[in-house]
Amino acid sequence: MEYDRLLNLSTEIGYGLLESGAEIYRVEESIQRILLAYGLTTGEVFAIPNCITVSLVTPEGKALTRVRRMPTHGTDIDLLELYNDLCRHLCVETPSMDEAEARCGAIRGRRRAYPFWVELGAYFLGAAFFTLFFGGTVLDALCGGLCGLSIALCLTFLTRLRTNLFFKTVAGGAVSALLALGLSLIGLGKNVDFITIGALMLLVPGLIFTNAMRDIMAGDTMSGITKTAEALLIGAAIALGTGVALWLARLIWGGVV
Amino acid sequence: MDAFLQYFLPCFYSFVACIAFCVLFNIHTGILICALGGALGWLVYLFCGPVFQSDILQSFVAALFISAYSETMARIRKCPVTGYLLVAFFPLVPGGGIYYAMEHAINGETELFLDVLLHTLGVAGSLAVGVLLVSSVVRLLNIAQRRRHVRRNAAR
Repeated sequence: MEYDRLLNLSTEIGYGLLESGAEIYRVEESIQRILLAYGLTTGEVFAIPNCITVSLVTPEGKALTRVRRMPTHGTDIDLLELYNDLCRHLCVETPSMDEAEARCGAIRGRRRAYPFWVELGAYFLGAAFFTLFFGGTVLDALCGGLCGLSIALCLTFLTRLRTNLFFKTVAGGAVSALLALGLSLIGLGKNVDFITIGALMLLVPGLIFTNAMRDIMAGDTMSGITKTAEALLIGAAIALGTGVALWLARLIWGGVV
Repeated sequence: MDAFLQYFLPCFYSFVACIAFCVLFNIHTGILICALGGALGWLVYLFCGPVFQSDILQSFVAALFISAYSETMARIRKCPVTGYLLVAFFPLVPGGGIYYAMEHAINGETELFLDVLLHTLGVAGSLAVGVLLVSSVVRLLNIAQRRRHVRRNAAR
């Protein structure tokens, strides 16, 4: 049994899970189960939102450890499901290392992604329907959709520049709120608040928050608290971005808006 | 007609919005199940309105429902619960609270600002407690099931 390869493989799978937005306990349990399935009893895993440490002791008594640092990442449920399926498969059938590595390597190629224009459409629809949902009119929804598009373009551009999440959220909030104010000044939209809130929903840290709660319940208090703090920070960033936009608009146009 | 406007339309809106969010999180299989979770969750929220008269309690009950729904669906489809939970929760997220709190802050209305801010945190907290409760019950059930499994294997 080649324990180096087993260690690399299990770390890789854990990394993939964490990168696609899995909870901490899922990452730790998955790695541990793979190690158990391949006959080890001494696997230790420690993961926090931006780092994974896996350590094992081979039957000959040699200790092996790997650490992988996690950069900021998004959410990719399709990739998450693929890695989860692979983990299940490995634990049940324990194929040879060669086959397992081949399967793990092929995952990135099997991942399905929506084309960019579908994503843009989703940004538009999401913001538009949340505007309607919060009580806007049909014209408001149109404005909300446009604001959603502006957020999409802003996020894509800033992601290319590798800006951090906080700044991206501030910028997205500011751009969409400014656009909402502008559209209502032209007379297209009526309720600036509904339009802005509808578009803001695209920036809300939903995954971070729910995952934080599930982590806390699973006993990973440290990761849970880190993520809760992150969610609160992003909430503050949203408020800051839209706040700056509103304040600027009032400075320029006076009491009109 | 009233019931249509009051119950059906918001749920329909949240359904479509949830479909859009599924695309943003790259969910391919089971989009409709996720979006249905969002719509049903909001329906529960609306139905609880006349009983509780408080959106914090309403959010709590809706959060309980959505978590239970997501855990069940994840069990049936044998895939991580993350995606379902994530998308179905969006209609409940207090995005409006963040905005109005900010607006009051800019207008210099400190009292209103604190009021709205605390209320928003309250809603977020009740959502959190809802998720916590259901996911800990599910963990209990899981462990109980595993134990029974182990015991049965040992008896053989």
